[in-house]
Amino acid sequence: MVNILSILTMNMISPINIIAVSLGIAFFMGLLGNKAQRTSYILLIAALLFNTIVSLQWLYGLANNLVEAQQIFTAGYKPPFSINLLMGLNEAVIASLINIVGLLGAIYMGSTLKKNGSGSQVVFLVLFMSLNVIVLSRDLFNIFVFLEVGSIAVAGLVILQKGVKAVSAGFKYMLATGIIAGIFLIGIIFIYRFTGSLNLDQIIQSNPAIKQGALISSFLILIAIILELKPFPANGWALDVYQAAHPGLSAILSSAVGTANLYVLYKFTGMAGDSLMHYISLIGIVTFVGSNLLGINQKKARRLLGYSSVGQIGLLIAIMGLLPHSNSNFKLIFFGILTSHYFAKAGLFWISGIIKAENIKEWSVLRKKPVLLFLFLSFILALLGFPPFPSFWGKWQLVMELSAQGQFAVIIAILVGSFFEVVYLMRWAGYSIKLEAGTLPEIKLSKYIPVILFGLGLYAVGYFVSQSVEFGNTINYLPLLVVAVLLVVDFLPAFVKNSLSILATGWFAYLLIPGQDTIKFIFTIIFLVGGILTLIPGFQIKGKREGFYPSAMLMFGGLALLIEASNLLQFFFAWEIMTIGSYFLIIRGKKSMPHALSYMLFSVGGAYLILLGFGMVSAGNSGLSLDLLSSIKVYPVLAMSLMAVGFMTKTASLGLHIWLPGAHGEAESDVSPMVSAILLKAGVFGLILLMLASGGEQNSYSGLFYVLGWIGALTALVGNLGAIFQEDAKRLLAYSSIGQLGYILFAFAIMTHMGWLTGLTYTINHFMFKAILFLAIGGIVMKLGTHNMYEMGGLIKKMPFSFIAVLIGIITLAGIPPLSGFGGKWLFYNAVIMKGWYFQGAVVFFAGTIAFLYLFKLIYSVFLGQLKDNHRNVKELSIWFLLPQYILIIGIMVFSAKPDLILKPIGNAIAMAFPSNQLTWEGTKALSTLGYWDATTIMVVIGGMFVVLLGWLMFMSRKAQKVEQFNMVYAAERPERPELTHVSHNIYAGYNKALGFLVAPGITNFWNYTTNLVESTGNFIRRIYSGNGQSYAIHLVSYIVIVFIIYLTAI
Amino acid sequence: METIALITAFALILIGLFGILSNKNILKIIIGFSLFDTGLHVLIVTVGYIKGGTAPILDKVVGTSNAADKIVDPIPQALVLTAIVIGLGVTALMLAYALKLYQAKKSLNITDFKELKW
Amino acid sequence: MEFTVSKILWTLLGLFIVLNWGLIMGGTMRKIGARVAKRHGIPIYQPYIDLVKNYAIRTQITHGIMFYLGPVFRLSGGVGIFLFLPLIFGSDHWSNFSFSGDLILILYFQFFGMLGMALGAGEGGHPYSAIGIGRGLSQFTTIEVPMTLAVIALAVQYNTLSISEIVAAQQGGIANWTMITNPFATAAAMLSLLGAFGHSPFNLVKAPNEIPIGPPTEYHSTYLGVLRTNAAILHVVEAALFMNLFFGGATNWFELILKTFLIYFWSVFVGMVFPRFRIEQSVRWFVKIPLVLGIIAIIIII
Repeated sequence: MVNILSILTMNMISPINIIAVSLGIAFFMGLLGNKAQRTSYILLIAALLFNTIVSLQWLYGLANNLVEAQQIFTAGYKPPFSINLLMGLNEAVIASLINIVGLLGAIYMGSTLKKNGSGSQVVFLVLFMSLNVIVLSRDLFNIFVFLEVGSIAVAGLVILQKGVKAVSAGFKYMLATGIIAGIFLIGIIFIYRFTGSLNLDQIIQSNPAIKQGALISSFLILIAIILELKPFPANGWALDVYQAAHPGLSAILSSAVGTANLYVLYKFTGMAGDSLMHYISLIGIVTFVGSNLLGINQKKARRLLGYSSVGQIGLLIAIMGLLPHSNSNFKLIFFGILTSHYFAKAGLFWISGIIKAENIKEWSVLRKKPVLLFLFLSFILALLGFPPFPSFWGKWQLVMELSAQGQFAVIIAILVGSFFEVVYLMRWAGYSIKLEAGTLPEIKLSKYIPVILFGLGLYAVGYFVSQSVEFGNTINYLPLLVVAVLLVVDFLPAFVKNSLSILATGWFAYLLIPGQDTIKFIFTIIFLVGGILTLIPGFQIKGKREGFYPSAMLMFGGLALLIEASNLLQFFFAWEIMTIGSYFLIIRGKKSMPHALSYMLFSVGGAYLILLGFGMVSAGNSGLSLDLLSSIKVYPVLAMSLMAVGFMTKTASLGLHIWLPGAHGEAESDVSPMVSAILLKAGVFGLILLMLASGGEQNSYSGLFYVLGWIGALTALVGNLGAIFQEDAKRLLAYSSIGQLGYILFAFAIMTHMGWLTGLTYTINHFMFKAILFLAIGGIVMKLGTHNMYEMGGLIKKMPFSFIAVLIGIITLAGIPPLSGFGGKWLFYNAVIMKGWYFQGAVVFFAGTIAFLYLFKLIYSVFLGQLKDNHRNVKELSIWFLLPQYILIIGIMVFSAKPDLILKPIGNAIAMAFPSNQLTWEGTKALSTLGYWDATTIMVVIGGMFVVLLGWLMFMSRKAQKVEQFNMVYAAERPERPELTHVSHNIYAGYNKALGFLVAPGITNFWNYTTNLVESTGNFIRRIYSGNGQSYAIHLVSYIVIVFIIYLTAI
Repeated sequence: METIALITAFALILIGLFGILSNKNILKIIIGFSLFDTGLHVLIVTVGYIKGGTAPILDKVVGTSNAADKIVDPIPQALVLTAIVIGLGVTALMLAYALKLYQAKKSLNITDFKELKW
Repeated sequence: MEFTVSKILWTLLGLFIVLNWGLIMGGTMRKIGARVAKRHGIPIYQPYIDLVKNYAIRTQITHGIMFYLGPVFRLSGGVGIFLFLPLIFGSDHWSNFSFSGDLILILYFQFFGMLGMALGAGEGGHPYSAIGIGRGLSQFTTIEVPMTLAVIALAVQYNTLSISEIVAAQQGGIANWTMITNPFATAAAMLSLLGAFGHSPFNLVKAPNEIPIGPPTEYHSTYLGVLRTNAAILHVVEAALFMNLFFGGATNWFELILKTFLIYFWSVFVGMVFPRFRIEQSVRWFVKIPLVLGIIAIIIII
C-alpha cells in the first residue's frame, strides 16, 4: 500500500488540474443537457473524486516530505502580473477536507442532484472548484472572484430544497453576501492602491499595518471575510440557510465552506498586524459565547446545528486571533477543533436529512437504528470536546497555551461558551436516548455511508491528533478498546457481555494492583472490585441490555485510568471518559432524562473548573506531571480552589449537590450502587490527590481547607436532613450519599493524621454499606415496581436475607458499635477535638444523629410494619443481588473486627504527609492522644453479651407462640387493611415543623433562577433574528460600523 | 476629475446601500444592489486612473517602451470587467429569486418572508 | 486487661448491684411522684413484684424474629453501657471492661439498644410503635447536640476521652468537679439529660396517657420483663455516666448510689413540675437554651 502511494507521489498531479478538470467537466456537463442525468452525475462524482485524489496525494507527499510545496504561476508570469497558487501542507490538508466532504456530499445528495438535472450538478461542481481556488490562491482579487462564485453557487443550490422557506433563506443569503462582497471589493481596490499589488505575499511583505490608509483597507478585507464566517450577531441570514437548505448543502456549508473561509482568514491574518488580531480574537469569542447562548432554547434541529456551527467557527476565529501562528501548537489546536467541527457538523446535518425530524424531540427515532444513534452521540460528544475526539486534544492544548500566556479571562469566556453548548447538545442527546421513538423513514445506502465514514474519520483523526499532542502518547487506550469490543458485540445476550465486562474489570484490577501505594490500592479496590460486585446483579437481567455494557466499561475504564494517571492530561482524559460513561449509565433509568442532564451539566462545569485549574498548574511549570500540583506557580490558592470545587461537583457537596438525588434515585437498580458507592469516590480521589499535593500538614492553603471543612459539615447536615423527608426509598439513599460525602469531605479537610484516617475509613465504609443498601433497596424497588416506601412494608417475612443485609448496612452507617462505622465515628471525634473544629464537628455530629431518622424510616417502612396485600407473593431477591451484598458484609465484618489490618497500612501511607499525632497501636488497641479503642475486644464483649442475653430470653420465652399479621392490641378492633396501620408517610411531620426550614429548596431555587436567567437572556437576544432579510442586512452594516468605531477609538 | 469620480463612486455606493437597507420592495432592493455595484465599479476605475493617462492598449502612440508613462493602470480595468460580470450574475440570480418569491406568495414585500426566525 | 474468670464474676456482681439499685430507685421515684400528686402510691419494692410477674407469665406471642430480637438488643444496650463504663474510681474490680473503649464508645453504644428496640417494635406492626419511635428519634437528634458540645468541651478541658482519666482529674474536692470548673458544659448536659431520661416535659415519646398501647402492650410477659430489667440498669448507668463526667465520679458504692439518685431525681423533679411538650416544641426547645449553653461551653474553652 505504502509502495503504491509512494509511486503515486513520484508523479504529482498539479493542483491546477483541480480547476482545469472541474471547469472542463462542468462545461461538458452543461453541454450534455438535462436528459443525461446519470452520465452527468457520474461525471460529477468522477471530477470530485479526482479533486480528492489530487489533494490527498499532495497531502501524503507533503506530510511525508516526499515533495516540496509548489507555487504555480498562471500564464507564465510572476506576480503581480499573474495569479499564483500555492500548494503547501496547510493547503493540502484543507483542500483534502473540502474535497472529501464534496465527494461524500455529492453521494449523499445523489438523488436530489439527479432529479434536478445536470444544471444543479454543474453548480455543485463549480462550488467545490471555487472552494479549492480560494484555498490555493495567493491573489486577493482571485479569491474575491471565487468567493463570489462560491456564494452564487450556494445561492443556486439552496433552491434545490422545495418550498418558500428555502427560497426566502436563499434570498437573504444573497443580500448579505452581496453587501459583504462590496465591502471586500472596496478593501481590495484600496489595498492595491496602497501596496501596488494583489499578491498576498507581496502585500504582507509591504507590511500594510504601518500605513493608515492601508490599515483601513486591510480592516475592510478582514471584516468582510469575517462576516463571511457569520459572526454573532450579524448572522441571521446564515442561520436561515442552515435551517432551510437541503441538509446535504447545510453540511457542505458548515464543514466545507466554513473550512475554506477560515483558511482564507488564516491567509489574510498575515496583513493584519497585532492590533487587528486582538479584535479578531474578540469577535471570535463573542461569537462563540453569544451563539451558544442563543442556541440554548432552540428546538429546531437544523437551526440548532446552525447556532452550533456559528459558535464553533467563532471559536476557531478566536484561536486564530489568540495564538501567534508561529506557536508550535497552533496548528494542532486549530486542526483538532476544526476537524471535530468538520466531521461532526457534516455528520449531524446528514443525519438530520436521513431521519427527517425537525424538532429535536423527534430525534428519538434514532434509537431504531443503533448505529445511527451511536454516530449521533459520537458527533455530539466530539463537538463538546470530549475524549477521544480531536477537539478534546485541541481544547486541552488551547487551555494550556492560553494559561502559559496568562490569558485566564479568555479561557473562562471560552469555557462559558462551551458550557452553553453542552446545555443544548446534551439536552438533545438526552431526548434522542429517552423520548418515545417515532418511525424511521427508509434509509438509502448512499445517505448512510457518508455518515458512517465521517464517524470513523472522527475517531481516526482523534487518535492521530492525540499522538501529536504533548504527552498524548502516554494515554492508555486499552479501556477504550474494551468498550469498542463491547460495542461490536452489543447484539449478544446480556449475560455474555456481563461476563466479559467482569473479566475486563478484573483484568484492569490485575494490571493496576501490583506496585500500587496504599491509598491508590484502596481506590483500586473500591473502583474495580466494587465494579465487579456491582456488575454481578446484571446477570439477572434478561435480553440484550443494549448499550449498558459499553457505558459501564467506559465508566470503570475511566476510573481505572484515573488511578493510573501520572500526568494532568491522563487524569483529565480519564475524568472525562468516566463522566461520559456514567452519564450514559445514569440516563438509562426510566425517568432519568432531566436528572442525567443536570448530572452532566454539573460534571462538565466541574471538569471545566478542573481544566482551568490544570491550566494554572501547568503555567510557569514545565511538563504536565501530577507532581506539579504541589508546585503551583500561578495563583496557587485560586487554582487549588477551582480544582477542589471541580472535584466537589462529583462528590455533590453543598451547592453542587442538587443533581444527585434524581440521578442516583432514578437510575436503574444496579446502576445506583455503581454511581453512589463507587463513582462518587472519584471526586474523593481527586480531592485526595489535591490535598496530598498541597503539602499535607504543612500546607499553605489552610483558609481553603477551613472553608472546605465547613462546606463538608453543612453538606452532611443538608444531605441527611433532605433524606429524612423523602418517601422514595432510592432518593432517601441518594440524599444519604450527599450527607456521607459531606462527612468525607469534612474529614479530609481537617488535614491531620486523624482526619485522614477518618476520611479513608468513611470512604471505605461508605463504599461497602452504600453498595449493600442500594443493591438491596434497588432490587426490592425493581421487584415491587414502586419507589415509595409507604407502599412497601412487612417485607422481612418475605426477604429475610435482604433484611439482614440492610440491617448491617444501617448499623454500619449509623456508626453503632461494634461494626466498622463506629471506627469512623471514634476517629472523627479524635480528629475534630485535636484539630479544634468543635462547631463544625458538632454540626457533623448533629447530621449523624439525623441519619438515625432516615435509617429507621428506611428499614421500618420497607421491611417492618405491615405487609401489603399485593406483596404477599413476593419472593426473596435473586442470588445475583444477594451475592455481592454478602461479600460486602464479609468485608464489613473483617473491617469491624480487625480494623488494624487496614488502618495500620493507611496510617503508614499517610505518615509522610501527616507525621504528627499519629494513631498508635497496641495489638488490636488503637491509641490516640485523647482516647483508645479496641475494636476486637468490643466485638468480643458485645458479641458474648448478646449471645448470653439472647440465650436467656430464648430460654425464658421458649413457649412463645407465633401470631398472624393483625394480631395486636388495636383499640379493641382488628385493623382490616395493612395500609391502615402502616405508619410511614410523612412520619417526621413534627420534625419538619420544627426544623424543616433548613431544607427549604434555596439552592435548587438558586440554580433554577440562574438557568432561567440564562435561558431568557438567550431568548431575548434571539429576537433580533426577526426573519426579515433586510434587518439582517442592517445588522451586517451596523456590525461593520460598530467594529470600525471601536477599532478607531482604540488605535 | 479624480475627486469628482471618487465622490460619485462613494455617492453611488451609499445611495445603493441606502436603497438596499430602506426599500421593502424586493425589486427596488435589487436595483439598489445595481447602484451599489456601479458605484464600486466607478471606484475601481478611479483608483487605477493616472493623470493624463490613456487607455492601456498598445498601439502606434503607446509602445512597449513608453507604456508605463502613457497609460492608466491596466489592472483595475481588468478587475472591473470581472466585477461587472460577477455583478451581472448576482443580479440575474437575485431576479430569479424575486420571481420565485413572487410565485410563492404573490408578494414582493421583503417583510412578508419571515417564516424562519429566532 | 484480660478476660479472666474473676474479672467476669466481679463484673456480674456489679451488674447485680446496679440492677437492684435501679429497681429500688425506680420504685422510690414512683413513690415520690405519687406523694407529690397526693396519692398513696406503690410500695417501693413494687418493681420487683412486676419483674417477677412479668417473667412468670406463661402466655406469650411473637410477631417474628426482629420482634423477638428487639428486647435482646435493648437489654444488650443497657448492659453494654454498664460493661464499658468504669463505675467506681480507682477500683479494678468495678471498672468493668472500660479498657476496650472510651467515652465515644459509650455515647455510640447507647444507640445499639435504641435501634434494636425501634426495629423490634416496628415488626410488631402496631402503628403507635412507629409513631412513638418517630417522635423519639426526632427528639433524640436535638437532645444529643448540646450533650455532644458538652462532651467536646470536657474532652478539650481534660485533654482526654477516657472516662477514668476524666474522673481522676476531678478528684480532690468539689472545687475540682466539672460542675464547678465548667458550669456551662454541665448545664447543657444536664438539660440534655432531661430529654434522655424521657420524663415530662419530654415524654411524648412514651406518652403514657395518649399512647397506652403500642410497644408496652405488644411487648408483654418476658419481653416486658427484659425491658424493665434494662430500664433499671440503664437509669443507673446513665446517671453514673453523668456522675463520672460532671460530678467527680464515685470512689465507693455509697457515693455512687447517692449521686445517681440525685442525678436521676433531677429529671423526675423537673417532670413533676412541668407539663408535657409536643414533639416540635421539644425539638425547638433543645436547639435554644441547651444549645446556646453548649456553644458557650465551647467558646470558653477556645
